[in-house]
Amino acid sequence: MAAASQTILAVDDSASMRQMVRYTLEGAGYKVLQASDGVEALELAKHGVADLVLTDVNMPRMDGIELVRELRALSTYKFVPMLVLTTESGQETKMRGKQAGATGWIVKPFNPDQLLATIARVL
Amino acid sequence: MLAGSLEFPDAPPARHDAAWTPETQIANMLELCSAQMESALQDSDHAVEALIQAFSTVAESARTLQSISAQLPPEVRAAITQALDKQLETLALQIGSAVVSFQFYDKLTQRLGHVRYSLSSLAQFVCDRAQSCEQDQWRRMLNALRRLYRTEEERRIFQMMTEGLSVDLEPPPPVRTGEVELF
Repeated sequence: MAAASQTILAVDDSASMRQMVRYTLEGAGYKVLQASDGVEALELAKHGVADLVLTDVNMPRMDGIELVRELRALSTYKFVPMLVLTTESGQETKMRGKQAGATGWIVKPFNPDQLLATIARVL
Repeated sequence: MLAGSLEFPDAPPARHDAAWTPETQIANMLELCSAQMESALQDSDHAVEALIQAFSTVAESARTLQSISAQLPPEVRAAITQALDKQLETLALQIGSAVVSFQFYDKLTQRLGHVRYSLSSLAQFVCDRAQSCEQDQWRRMLNALRRLYRTEEERRIFQMMTEGLSVDLEPPPPVRTGEVELF
């Protein structure tokens, strides 16, 4: 079970994906904040610090890689783990994510146990 | 919007339109396929939304049952624990599988979005005769479409088609979940 204070900011433009992620994380005891794109996530992040960010890549307005880059520029998010959860499996995009400051890369579809194990590992 | 409209065999003969060309007919046909796909996707979106809502309710109930079971007095729990735990374990396994399966709808939506974009690009491309007669322009367009693909499956199919292989001949690779790479 996660520590009661641990909050995860989950970002995805797909409502069904957000629901699957929220269900999985809340079941393990995490508090979940949700955003449907990078702009919304950045706004949420400025009002409070999450313990981990889990973001999709392809989203309207601001994509996940840009979000990671913007968050890393905030002093409060400099050391916060940021995982990318996406259907993108190409090395080139992965490298862009790494350079932007992502902590890790998970290719969809995620397996709930595997996702929780990865989160526990980087938190 | 492309010039002209589609002609059907049982429709009254179309007036002689200056904009009528085989290319505009192909383009309109491609736009028709794209519109059908979009319409089917919109219908499915509503159904999947309802399905996910139903799933969430069932999954929440399973969690509540689990927590009720944990709070049972030891003597009651001892009497039913084996049967109850087995049922709860089965439920948890099925819910985990459903979480993975639901994500394929998201993937399907994304892939069909790419197909629709490809059809629209092709529709515009064929209408430009100067462009569509150049082999090099076709190569450019294919490269632009290749860059659109996000998933391994899309890239695999694209590669097979450009190499002239039939996609039907090869069984799809087994589904992998949650490939993880930590930097």
